[in-house]
Amino acid sequence: MPTLLIVAPILFGILAWLSPTAPLRTLWVVLGGALTCAAGILTALRGAAEFTLPRWSDNLAYGIEIAVIAVIFAISFRLKDWRIGLLAVAQMVMAALERLLPHAALPPAATFVIDPLSIILILVISVVGSVIVLYAIGYMRKHEEHAPDTAAPTGRFFLFLVGFLGAMNGLVMANDLRWLSIFWEITTICSFMLIGHDGTDEARANARRALLINMFGGTAMILGGLLCAVQGNGNSLAHMMSAQALIPIALLCLAAFTKSAQMPFQSWLLGAMVAPTPVSALLHSATMVKAGSYLVLRLAPAYQGTRLSEIIAVAGAFTFAATSALAISQSNAKKVLAYSTIANLGLIVACAGLNTPLAYSAAVLILAFHAVSKGLLFLCVGAIEQKIGSRDIEDMGGIMYRMPITAMIALLGMVAMLAPPFGMLLSKWMAIEAAIFSPLVLFLIVMGSAMTVLFWAKWIGRIQTVSYHERYDAERLPASMFAALIILGAGVILTGILAFPLIPMTEGLVRGAYAGLALPEASFKALRTAGTFAAWPIFLFVGLGLLGAFFAVRRFSAAVIRPPYLCGENVGGTDVSYSFRSLMDKPDTAWSKSLYLKPVFSEDKITFWANLIACMIILTMFGMIGAL
Amino acid sequence: MEALLAFVVAWKPYVLAAAALVVAPVIGALLMGLDRILTARIQGRVGPPLLQPFYDIVKLLGKAPIALNRVQVVYACLHLALMMLVVVLLAMGQDLMMILFVHAFSNIALILGGMSVRSPYSRIGSQRQIMQMLAYEPILVLMVVGIYLIFGTFQISRIPAGGVPLLVQLPLVFLAFQMVISIKLQKSPFDVSTSHHAHQEIVKGITIEYSGPYLAVIEITHLYETCVLFTVVALFWAPNPLVGLLLAALSFLFQIVLDNACARLTTMWMLRYMWTLPMVLAVSNIAWLYLRNGASLG
Repeated sequence: MPTLLIVAPILFGILAWLSPTAPLRTLWVVLGGALTCAAGILTALRGAAEFTLPRWSDNLAYGIEIAVIAVIFAISFRLKDWRIGLLAVAQMVMAALERLLPHAALPPAATFVIDPLSIILILVISVVGSVIVLYAIGYMRKHEEHAPDTAAPTGRFFLFLVGFLGAMNGLVMANDLRWLSIFWEITTICSFMLIGHDGTDEARANARRALLINMFGGTAMILGGLLCAVQGNGNSLAHMMSAQALIPIALLCLAAFTKSAQMPFQSWLLGAMVAPTPVSALLHSATMVKAGSYLVLRLAPAYQGTRLSEIIAVAGAFTFAATSALAISQSNAKKVLAYSTIANLGLIVACAGLNTPLAYSAAVLILAFHAVSKGLLFLCVGAIEQKIGSRDIEDMGGIMYRMPITAMIALLGMVAMLAPPFGMLLSKWMAIEAAIFSPLVLFLIVMGSAMTVLFWAKWIGRIQTVSYHERYDAERLPASMFAALIILGAGVILTGILAFPLIPMTEGLVRGAYAGLALPEASFKALRTAGTFAAWPIFLFVGLGLLGAFFAVRRFSAAVIRPPYLCGENVGGTDVSYSFRSLMDKPDTAWSKSLYLKPVFSEDKITFWANLIACMIILTMFGMIGAL
Repeated sequence: MEALLAFVVAWKPYVLAAAALVVAPVIGALLMGLDRILTARIQGRVGPPLLQPFYDIVKLLGKAPIALNRVQVVYACLHLALMMLVVVLLAMGQDLMMILFVHAFSNIALILGGMSVRSPYSRIGSQRQIMQMLAYEPILVLMVVGIYLIFGTFQISRIPAGGVPLLVQLPLVFLAFQMVISIKLQKSPFDVSTSHHAHQEIVKGITIEYSGPYLAVIEITHLYETCVLFTVVALFWAPNPLVGLLLAALSFLFQIVLDNACARLTTMWMLRYMWTLPMVLAVSNIAWLYLRNGASLG
């Protein structure tokens, strides 16, 4: 089954790439997605497992690793970017060194491990990822019509899109460091190819930046593996964690920061939005950035109680607060989503750094809820953009009438990001309660949460702004896009309802993760208290409110509707009018822009200083553990 | 009678919650009526009768419903429902942080309702109300954090009744909280998103497009909120309820005097002010609690 998780997407991706006709390609993509999804769910049902590959596979892994790095080197050659080339050479040298140096005799570790954390990630990747792939079929058909001439063939697009899922599945199962870095680099290549898909100057530049930053992270990861082996601490995650080799662990966390686009590495993810929307959806929800937060979480028990843990918490919380502030000044929908992704990843990293059972549970829940809601939101923005030809939030007024279904689902996704009774709010609540003994982290999370509410509320307000209409007609969307929206929308509602019962269920996962540490039983108390929160009043009153609203608007008719107050200067007429009599009695429409607070929160005011602080935090991180 | 008593004891949290749902708006209305009389006297007028807020709401409820669209009505209902939820959760002794979140979302519902109409005044009012939330919400969170640091729990039901009054341990947070109440009650100099006074530059701001029964729903929500705010003030001296009431009365008087002594200032001024003086007060109080508890600030 695990083999299928990795091989099936890659294989069907290749088949899709080789398909001569579009219908055949669609067939392979659908089959690949369905198979991955099924394999993911089956793996989850089977539960924890370990797999040890025979000894000869070491040579295989080494061969693949060299091949992957060689591919990147070739790319750097074509890009004529010596920095990427240099990093590739460095990686190759370190990989060879690791191979040549004598190894300490340690009990062999499993090559692949499936534990509860991996299972959550596999479910996210296989299910949410497959739904996004499904959406991509309809989206790319439309995209081909108006894509620039420079765009790569759609077949190649699906190769990397579907193959991505395989690499991610491999990544979250890998225990052996060499396999881990193989899949790590494959996801880097996939994202590079997908971001550059349209082939415009901007797309190429942003793809190159993504490659460079992620190669930097990959180099840190291989260096971490090399150091770990040199220190005689083995070549698997399990070995590294049981040895508490802090410097290699910190290097892996640095790699995770680059992949999760934590400050100061956020620029590649912001640039990634030039890609077709399914790519953004995939990068932001099911794959890529989740790899980083996964790794930080995976390693968390190993650095529990150290200074490293404290500084990781500060780094994550700082990213959360800074990117939430940056999101306020953005009116580009995809950019708001991107900053919100980085912020949520920051929150996950902060929770991993807080490193208590409650925080760990919160981090896992945020990871899962965020994947579903953010995937959904990107898909909605993609559909809206194809319809109205703009991704500017200010242009989204009135879409409730023009595309009611997409607008309603988008609203659902946004509300799920912040409001009760949905899971994101719940996990944020847990995160804040977990941060209570780390004042600085707490302060950053609180300020960040307040600013998060500001940018979501503005957007929700704009989307739902609508004049009165007697009836709404559903818009037409390609079947695959429509199906994807419905599936993820249902997922959001389901996780919203299930959010409270999920907390006690994560306890087993958390206990497993901290099993080797013998944490005092009291440290689980906070998690257990959160799990016993009586959720029914929340559902009851939200339900009552909606019910009351239903009865209030049930009898609405055009007779109830009045024009807005415009100082009595409304343009007359039989219809409800939104215009007022302006200068010389000319009709003019009243319009108020949303608040963007650019003088305070604009990118050119904040980014430089925030990056500087983030760099200092990371330097402090290495300084504190004595690596500098 | 005994059966009734047994029922009350067995279902105490729920009975308390139900009672609070009934009593809270009454207290809120009386406070608002008193506010209007006192304000009138300060301004040299006689003012309305004490029960005027009741009369207003009854009159509003009897009017024919008119609206701009369906969405705004949905949000008015959620505004009220979530505020009632706050009262219920408080009475049941639930988690303070979650109560704070629910309270925030009640206000966000109103903001979204104001934003959902194509009316410039309403939208501007909504935007300003978001800024108000941004200004006061961190201080409320700090207050809850302070309570945790003193009692070691977020659960109201686990907070012991006696002991040292909160005011002694959270004096600076208490001062910052007074500013929060001013914003919440839309008092000058913070009444930027809507105002009780007859005219302001954005007319009635966030609630301008609500009328009749829908405006009544929002007014009822305000009754609940007013009661909640001053109950929290009274809880700062929980060991002796009489002193607590006195504290609440003083706070109430302070709000009215401040309102009448100040002119409205701009939204950005409010944000800057709240994020400096009250924030510094609250943060230093919390920092002191951390240091006293022996934790590092790192």
